[in-house]
Amino acid sequence: MATKGKATQKKSAKRQPGPAKGAGPAKGTAPAGYNGYRVAKVFKASKKVPIADIAPHFSRADLEFIGVDHSGASYEGRVFINNPKASASTEATGTNGYAGSFYVFGHGGCFGDVGHCDINRPDDPFDPRPSHPLKPLRKVVIATDAIKLAMEQRQDITLTIVPIIMSWTEKCELEDVLNFDHFNLVTYD
Amino acid sequence: MASLTLRKNIDSLHATELQALREAYKKAQQIMDNRSYNHFAGLHGIPNWWCWHHERSQHSRVNANLFLPWHRAYLLYFEKAIQSQAPPGVKVGLPWWDWTSARSHADGVPRAFSAASVSGQPNPLFRARIVAPSANPPINRVTRRFPGNPSELPTPAQVNSLLDLTSFNDFTDQLEGYHDFIHGWTGGNNGSVGGDMGNVGTAAWDPIFWSHHCMIDRLWYRWQAKQGMNNITPTLLTMVLEPFGMTVREVLSINALGYEYAVSSISVGAR
Repeated sequence: MATKGKATQKKSAKRQPGPAKGAGPAKGTAPAGYNGYRVAKVFKASKKVPIADIAPHFSRADLEFIGVDHSGASYEGRVFINNPKASASTEATGTNGYAGSFYVFGHGGCFGDVGHCDINRPDDPFDPRPSHPLKPLRKVVIATDAIKLAMEQRQDITLTIVPIIMSWTEKCELEDVLNFDHFNLVTYD
Repeated sequence: MASLTLRKNIDSLHATELQALREAYKKAQQIMDNRSYNHFAGLHGIPNWWCWHHERSQHSRVNANLFLPWHRAYLLYFEKAIQSQAPPGVKVGLPWWDWTSARSHADGVPRAFSAASVSGQPNPLFRARIVAPSANPPINRVTRRFPGNPSELPTPAQVNSLLDLTSFNDFTDQLEGYHDFIHGWTGGNNGSVGGDMGNVGTAAWDPIFWSHHCMIDRLWYRWQAKQGMNNITPTLLTMVLEPFGMTVREVLSINALGYEYAVSSISVGAR
């Protein structure tokens, strides 16, 4: 069964100062010799996914993020469930609602001439080229444990995503980094 | 009959093998024609933008994830260019960087890539010059790298768990996530600007790019060994990996492409 939840980015989210802890896949590590990852504007979903809409039995649950922009900086999107206060300093643990992370390898801004990074290419069946390199992408976080926990707690699901910027160029926007169209919650038997 | 190229762990290369690799990279970096390091680096991002990441479409409304096949062809062409610059009689293979290893978790970027100089000479595996006059603004500088904390690197258990995924789409999606992380981690930043591995445009100029992608390619090879060499979405098979002219079907077998992955190798003379 697939459950879809649409979300829009909350524009008023505050920028979170300071480096993130445990920014890589190996969570909970101390950042000795840390290289100053930055925290961009946190995404807080404005809509809930009702758990009543999710099939009660599943072996796997994915959070699919659709239409993710990747034109700028490279970053980690740290996904929390039902923890609207999550920030860069929130430990990435199940008890804090941490569901997993996705990573974006950004293009680093536009290094072409005017219009080079415009992706509104017309739909033309005779165009042999691959789609534009900046076509928004899809990221999948396998979030089975976190979704099951939310269902056990009978809590409708809200997402908070903390973007941790790892690398950028002089052409990158460093505040409004995380942009996507919507997310899907998909379960599998 | 030609033997297969052995791609080895960078940490297990003998001193002579590492020296031959350095000489080949150095020569490729000193030329500027279509055999050059600069030429191949420029195919990925700036200025040619051929690289294929995540799902895109081509001749179809269906999105295709050619991330793994495209980079396999890319590595092969680059390896041939490097082999052409190697010392006479020496067959170099691109080494892979195991960013899950205990050594990487202690040291981060391997010493072979992190040493700025070797025997008093600039280390061609440390950095390379980006010459991209058509970029806006034009780029002409050496690469930068500000790697993160080694303890953040993925663990063997995390990566091995990917090998249990049975669907190609699942596997490539999840592996690309680790790939993306390593790019951001390796490029990193110095507080004011990021390193080149951290953005698609300049990543391939950093000499460690090729060994990162050998690791990715090797993981795909290991996954194929476990889940089936032809385990891939059938509609992808006839798609062409531009600008290399090879189809996805043609890059499924690394032995058919003339190489294999080894952890180490030892040669012992018969006499």
